[in-house]
Amino acid sequence: MSKKEKTIIKVENLVRHYDSGIIVKALNGVSFNIKEGELIMIMGPSGSGKTTMLRILGLLDKPTKGKYTINNLDVVDLPEEERNYYRLTQLGYVFQDYALINEMSASENVSILSLMEGKSKKESFLTAKEALEKVGLGDKLDRVPNRLSGGEKQRVAIARAIAKKPKILFADEPCANLDTQTSAQVLEVLNNLNKKFGQTIVMVTHENWHTKYASRIIQLRDGLIVSDKARRDGFK
Amino acid sequence: MFDDIRVGFVSALSSVKRGNKKTLIFIIFVLALIFMNLIFLPSFIGGISGMFTNFMKYPYGDIVIEPGENNIYINNADNVLQKIRAVPNVKAATKRLDVGASIEYNQKVVGSTITGLLPSEEYDISNYPYIIKEGEFLGDLAQDEIIIGAMLVEGYFGSEIYDNLGGVRVGSLVNVTYSNNVERTYKVKGIMEGTFELVDLNALIHYKEIEDVFGLNESKATSVVVKVQEEADSKEVKEKIISVGVKEPISTSDEKSDAILRQAMQSIDMINVVSNLVSLIVGAALIFIIIYINTLNRRREIGILKAVGITPNSIRISYIFISVFYVIMGIFAGLILYFILMFYFTKNPVIFYETIRLTPEIQGGLIIKSIFTMLIMSVIAGFIPAWFVTRKSILEAIWGR
Repeated sequence: MSKKEKTIIKVENLVRHYDSGIIVKALNGVSFNIKEGELIMIMGPSGSGKTTMLRILGLLDKPTKGKYTINNLDVVDLPEEERNYYRLTQLGYVFQDYALINEMSASENVSILSLMEGKSKKESFLTAKEALEKVGLGDKLDRVPNRLSGGEKQRVAIARAIAKKPKILFADEPCANLDTQTSAQVLEVLNNLNKKFGQTIVMVTHENWHTKYASRIIQLRDGLIVSDKARRDGFK
Repeated sequence: MFDDIRVGFVSALSSVKRGNKKTLIFIIFVLALIFMNLIFLPSFIGGISGMFTNFMKYPYGDIVIEPGENNIYINNADNVLQKIRAVPNVKAATKRLDVGASIEYNQKVVGSTITGLLPSEEYDISNYPYIIKEGEFLGDLAQDEIIIGAMLVEGYFGSEIYDNLGGVRVGSLVNVTYSNNVERTYKVKGIMEGTFELVDLNALIHYKEIEDVFGLNESKATSVVVKVQEEADSKEVKEKIISVGVKEPISTSDEKSDAILRQAMQSIDMINVVSNLVSLIVGAALIFIIIYINTLNRRREIGILKAVGITPNSIRISYIFISVFYVIMGIFAGLILYFILMFYFTKNPVIFYETIRLTPEIQGGLIIKSIFTMLIMSVIAGFIPAWFVTRKSILEAIWGR
């Protein structure tokens, strides 16, 4: 089995129901595998369960039922401390609304994770600098989020997610708040990471034109997978 | 743990460095007022307490020996003094004679207590030689001189509410009529001001003069006043004086002030304790509320930090650092405010009971205790809300669900 074909994520019969007075059935039994080096786009209408699924995959939420393994490790029942450590060291997550700390500069937003991993201050700064250069923000290390454009903020968020070289990068509608041109720049960054560095990426989007960057597209509706197809005409 | 502290510190530092400056100033201002509240009123109450204790030192020194029951005088006070001076830790001792008299100047007459004392011995015992506002203290040789209290002199603080001797000044001649009707004329050598009625309504004359006027001999005294060494305990010295055979009643100045001011001091102490307790509770609650609101406002930020893998411990430590920083700045600002007010009230004392000028007393122990309390509160106030928020799920912290 080649490296690219190695299965990194296995999801079996994933169910997520919210109880907020009435039961909201966000996911109703979803199963799929993800191979290393894939750039997967999860699509579907509002309320189809895209974001819920990504949050479970990113270990930000737990499923009501079902099995989820990363590299054969069952991550659902990991204690909270270990899930936290796993998020820190193995996964990257890009939020729709950037989720940057406004009081930290771009480099601090990125380097704080390396500090948490135990790297020295200098080493952490260099890691952050490298990641920010990778997303084209090498000249804006000291800028705070309020002095960055939407696209730049999202690129800082991507830099934060990739600085620690995660096994898998999750991105939840990273272009939702961006114009088309800026969206294209962000998608190029993600595409480059996938193409040049073999980064596994799982991204939620509702824009059809984004799919030209995908190697595989999973369609969700009412918490179920309605389509799961590989793209043969993409960059892959 | 070291990484948690390091990340907590970096996170707190950027939060303080780049956070909203207006909010920062407001929080520090409120914390400064909380700190002030902890130390300001107790300083005044401490001032009252210290003032009364100091007042007691004029008539009683550290230890006072008075005539026994049914006796007007201590007989052979020199013999008593000889015994006392041999007791370890006694710095100095002297005898005094207090008598009643009326003083007249330019047809103005006031009643007063006149204390006969040995001037050179008083330098080591009482404050009398050091509170002369005009003129000089008595000399050992002259018996025709008098020191009068400031409230007997027109224009001095408190003189307007009592009968006074009008424009009497240093160098003026006053007539004194003693309780045995002997009349003498004295030259005013000095005016003393202790801002305390028991001192400022009295007069001082040489001991020998009182002996002459009353025809006393064999060294009689109405009191023998003792000053003990700085490091010595008055109570222990008192016991030693008893043990060397002094039969007359002996009291420490604390016991005397207890007897005279017990009720007042008990009330003041109770006010002080209640005030301290209330200030402490209010201060603690306010610190907690301020930090709690501040932390809750950063709930989303805490959720984000958790989501990207920052440990809850780091986040809690970060908020403890922030809280401690706010409180340290508040304490610093509070101390500046406090010392400005202390300076003002020392220069402009509060007038109390028309005749007492009340100045606050800076109490180092209280300040240290208050700083310590504020710092402990800051740790608790920083930790608890951060602990609450970090316990929430990431989804709840960031998106409120």
